[in-house]
Amino acid sequence: MHYEQLGVTEGDFYNRNFEKGAREDTMILNLGPQHPATHGVLRVIVELDGEYVIRAEPVLGYLHRMHEKMGEVKTLSQFIPNTGRIDYGHALGWNWAFVGAVERLAGFEVPERAQYIRVITTEINRITSHLLWWGAFTLDLGAITPIMYAFDDREHLLDILQMPTGSRLTHSSFRIGGVCTDLSEKFIETVRDFIPKMRERLPMYRDLVTDNVILRKRLEGVGVMDADMCRRYGVTGPVARGSGLAYDVRQAEHFPIYEGLDWQVAVRTEGDSMARYLVRMDEMEQSLNIIEQALAALPAGPVLMKNAPKVLWKAPKGESYFAVEGARGKIGVHLVSNGGEFAYKVKLRSPCFSNLSAYAEAARGTILADAVAILGSLDLVIPEIDR
Amino acid sequence: MIDSLFGTIKVQYLVKCDPAKTGLAWSVFLAQSDLLPAVKLLYRANYFLEDLTAIDAKEGYLAVYHFDHIDSPGRVALRVLTSHEAPELPSIASVYQGAEWHERETTDFYGITFTGNPNPVPLLLAPDMTEHPLQKTEAQRAFLWDLFPPAEPLRAAADFTLLTPAAKLAETGEA
Repeated sequence: MHYEQLGVTEGDFYNRNFEKGAREDTMILNLGPQHPATHGVLRVIVELDGEYVIRAEPVLGYLHRMHEKMGEVKTLSQFIPNTGRIDYGHALGWNWAFVGAVERLAGFEVPERAQYIRVITTEINRITSHLLWWGAFTLDLGAITPIMYAFDDREHLLDILQMPTGSRLTHSSFRIGGVCTDLSEKFIETVRDFIPKMRERLPMYRDLVTDNVILRKRLEGVGVMDADMCRRYGVTGPVARGSGLAYDVRQAEHFPIYEGLDWQVAVRTEGDSMARYLVRMDEMEQSLNIIEQALAALPAGPVLMKNAPKVLWKAPKGESYFAVEGARGKIGVHLVSNGGEFAYKVKLRSPCFSNLSAYAEAARGTILADAVAILGSLDLVIPEIDR
Repeated sequence: MIDSLFGTIKVQYLVKCDPAKTGLAWSVFLAQSDLLPAVKLLYRANYFLEDLTAIDAKEGYLAVYHFDHIDSPGRVALRVLTSHEAPELPSIASVYQGAEWHERETTDFYGITFTGNPNPVPLLLAPDMTEHPLQKTEAQRAFLWDLFPPAEPLRAAADFTLLTPAAKLAETGEA
């Protein structure tokens, strides 16, 4: 409003909307849309009193592609590649959520081997996603080296994931009723070799970065989110688990293969950015445990059910909801069908969307540099928020 | 659990679902005036908001609110109908602040107004855009009774006919 009083009509719609509630003696600053710390095209408008953030408002939509509409104009099988492009960080999590919703609606039984392959590849994808976050987040905080280490490991894992999925980033190898390719002997061997190597790397990461005094001073006590705040905003995933909420969809919704394996849900109670950081570091170890056990127990058999749906297959009428624990939280797909080849309605529940909605409250009263640290600690993938 | 939690609310239709088949534990149809009291009860029972969307059907827009629980998981779907002509619902952002964005998104996609939303500006679509991309044409719309499979409700109001097929309704009307 103070700009308008001065006769200045600067800024766009969102700036002018944000300025309506602004104080006279403050400065309004746009972080983004092209800002290195947003890892994509996210814009945050902040109102600053000196160094302190009084108010923050994320502006979305720069990467909006209307996947929900595409879900209504493509057949169910044709929509699978879209799911790999919603979140490029954890594409297989989205794959699984969508095919899971269709399978639940149709009452399909997925062959056991295919279920194991889904677990193994999704967990490898979770590690690649966490490594990407780890490198980029430390880069936000001013550490240049860790991303080199992170991408070293990540490239090896992407080589591995390329074997069964055929792609390095936008994986879409899950099918309604199974997966598209079986695991090769070479894949199994390479993963078996990689697990001990990765286990040696994780303590090095701890010595190099996690125990670093600069990192701890930047993150400890910064951006504290309590359990009630997580519930009010629907925050899930490592962010909620950093706030002491032991909620993991893999456990909460009784995923078949995970139930038989020995692994723990990583939880921290501090609720600050450091807790969220540590939860993700623990999760990489847990994912290695899951992959190792799942590989050892991998049964023989088909990887796709008999008479798996073809492109023009018609789903039965009704609705279903299927949730998966993605690298960033609870991925949900709500599917409504009127008995045609196309979905009548697809709702894509993005974990980052809900996690980011809590940001305005978490960043209030912090200094600007901490606000950037909090943004990074949420592990945002912008295309997933905008869908 | 939900039937006792909603004891004081006039529920139109309440079904206990099989989570293995639908992913839902409870499906609840409410009148618009009962939405906010029901949401407050869920908040006090420590539920969190998963998502919010709408289904465009012949009868109107059916807004769907999904909630889940951290300690005793089981998805609750609240459903409220609003008309095509004047789509308007009360905002629940005063209870669940996270609903603010979900409501703005639903306004973008369907044109439903959420009264009481603290910042009702477009979220994902351009501010000058007037179209609502997920609205269906009259020919594309299906009946709600056609989309939702028949179920045995635990509670159902006598005047609740949304999920009764039109043919059956005509029969009983004649009789």
